[in-house]
Amino acid sequence: MLQFDRISLDDKTQSLRAEVREFLDDTQEHFPLPLSDFTTGHDASFSQKLGDKGWIGMCWPQQYGGSDASFFERYVVTEELLAAGAPVSAHWIADRQSGPLLLRFGTEEQKQTYLPKIANGEAFFSIGMSEPDSGSDLASVRTTAVKEGDQYRINGTKVWTTDAHRNHYIICLVRTETQSENRHAGLSQVIVDLRNDGAQVKPIANMAGNEEFNEVVFEDVMVPADRIVGEPGNGWAQVTSELAYERSGPERFLSSFRVFVELIRACGDNPAPHEAAAIGRIAAHFMTLRRMSISVAGMLENDKDAVVEAALVKELGNNFEKQLLDIARLAAPMTAGNRRFRETFEQTLLLSPSFTLRGGTREILRGVIARGLGLR
Amino acid sequence: MSEATSTQQLILDTAGRIFSDHCNKQMLDQAETGALAKALWAQIADNGFNQLGSVGSGTDASDMYAFIQLCGNHAVPLPIAETLLVNQWCGADNGLFSIGQIEAGAIVNVPWGRAAEKVVGLEANSNTIYVVTNPQVIGEGNSMAGEPRDTMALPDSAHQVTLEQSPYAQMAVARSNQIAGSLLKMLDLGIQYSSERVQFGRAISKFQAIQHSLAIVAAEAAAAKRAADAAADALSSDRFVAEVAASKARVGEAATVVAEQVHQIHGAMGFTHEHQLHHYSRRAWAWRDDYGNEFYWQSYLGSHLAHLGADQAWSFIATQG
Repeated sequence: MLQFDRISLDDKTQSLRAEVREFLDDTQEHFPLPLSDFTTGHDASFSQKLGDKGWIGMCWPQQYGGSDASFFERYVVTEELLAAGAPVSAHWIADRQSGPLLLRFGTEEQKQTYLPKIANGEAFFSIGMSEPDSGSDLASVRTTAVKEGDQYRINGTKVWTTDAHRNHYIICLVRTETQSENRHAGLSQVIVDLRNDGAQVKPIANMAGNEEFNEVVFEDVMVPADRIVGEPGNGWAQVTSELAYERSGPERFLSSFRVFVELIRACGDNPAPHEAAAIGRIAAHFMTLRRMSISVAGMLENDKDAVVEAALVKELGNNFEKQLLDIARLAAPMTAGNRRFRETFEQTLLLSPSFTLRGGTREILRGVIARGLGLR
Repeated sequence: MSEATSTQQLILDTAGRIFSDHCNKQMLDQAETGALAKALWAQIADNGFNQLGSVGSGTDASDMYAFIQLCGNHAVPLPIAETLLVNQWCGADNGLFSIGQIEAGAIVNVPWGRAAEKVVGLEANSNTIYVVTNPQVIGEGNSMAGEPRDTMALPDSAHQVTLEQSPYAQMAVARSNQIAGSLLKMLDLGIQYSSERVQFGRAISKFQAIQHSLAIVAAEAAAAKRAADAAADALSSDRFVAEVAASKARVGEAATVVAEQVHQIHGAMGFTHEHQLHHYSRRAWAWRDDYGNEFYWQSYLGSHLAHLGADQAWSFIATQG
């Protein structure tokens, strides 16, 4: 479990990297303030450009709009986008999570309906897991979907549904049967069309001053029965499998990357020893985290169970994303001359409380690791 | 893509059995009184483990560093990493050798210098080493882990050899691997102790506070291992020293966290001399400061990156295999 295999990316993958960099060089000047946090920068036209390049859904079969690329190729594309601070949030969840979920569990019709649109950068998804009374204890969700003929009637509220006000669909974890002794039974995932099904989206401003996440209220929202992802009742197994994909990618340690870049710029090419040490300390963490994260990509590529390894990467990566901010802050003064350092730092700091919350809190992740160690 | 080859696995399995037989608490205590672990050394030599990585041994540097990591895991009280590197630098031979740094005309901090048949002196910023045969002891001392660290004479007759890669950085790779091994051992000890120790009517491993602490330890130990492996892989790279810098800096940070957490988990028991934990924690602490501590390597790496420039930082980080 603590073995993170050594992986060298092959030449094909490296030439893809060059291609992504060239693309970014052409588009980068349009990024207002580059931030590496994957939830910032919702830009549908940028996502469509990526779709045109074939860089969304790239690991999926060609018949569903993908290009049968390896996990490593996808890895390289995603890390290059984050490192450059590209606006990736529009397609991020669909590419990382909703698409792979549908590919793995969805019906043939669902795959044909949604996957090509996602891969084109035309269909954006949100996640409907948390509720006002259900956060880390996800199995306690109370939103219901009751079958009536060939439809489901949905009632309940989902929260922290990033970008639901501007995305096309949300996949919600709902209770399709009343709760029994096995609290993981009777849960299903259902696709809701955010623009046409009548769900109400209410913005929730975050402390950074952005309205990225929100609350989605379902009051007798009716959806066709074929919107259930895969089999009714299989929701818990599906949700937990999603999380391995969600937890180990480069977005779990690169969120503060642009602060690092601006720190180096602020220190200049002849840094004082303490400035050099701050830069080197951060770089050493990045280099190790990246290797570990790529090892997990290799496990996913080879269909290995990577739940615990992914949790280890997220635990280390999320803590480091926060620690980086303090190392940078104390290393170099934020003067009028390096305004970009200050702006990047402040924007990222304001987002940073979410780093160890989203995708499973630090506490939940440590529980996953402890289970892997045989302690529970 | 490389995983442990079957040859390497065979080496590690065999060596692991030998170390499990020999490196018990009693033997580690004895080694601290200054007694050379002769029986263990004989076993290592009989199996050819003192030749790992040398030309003609059928093994490579990757096998050698994996073995050094295992030595750290068992707190092997011998200058085995030093012997292996001297063999790499001077041609394979059968004796017990050691390495230290040149300071004020002497070679200092030489592990088991008193028992070494050959001692190499090196400097941080030079690829030239000074090889001394039949070395003379000037002064005897110990590391904080109770391992002999002697001061040896550096005679004018010392033979000079110039290496392709920094000998100082190569020793840092060895220490990174030894530390990574000791951190994995401390994780095992933490799991074992917390599963046996009962308080408030249950094993303390059942308490969330302890579970979270061990999760942190596991994450740091895994990071240390990955970082140590990466440094060993970079031996023939033109960015070898920068990779070593990243590795030793990261592993050193991990050592601090793991030792602190695992001692806390062991309570007062782990603070006693009778308990075995300190054989590993004290070594990790001592090795942390050998051949460049965190600040030294962080500064090195940071200066390198600053020189490349802010907009090259990502390219530097993403250029690694």
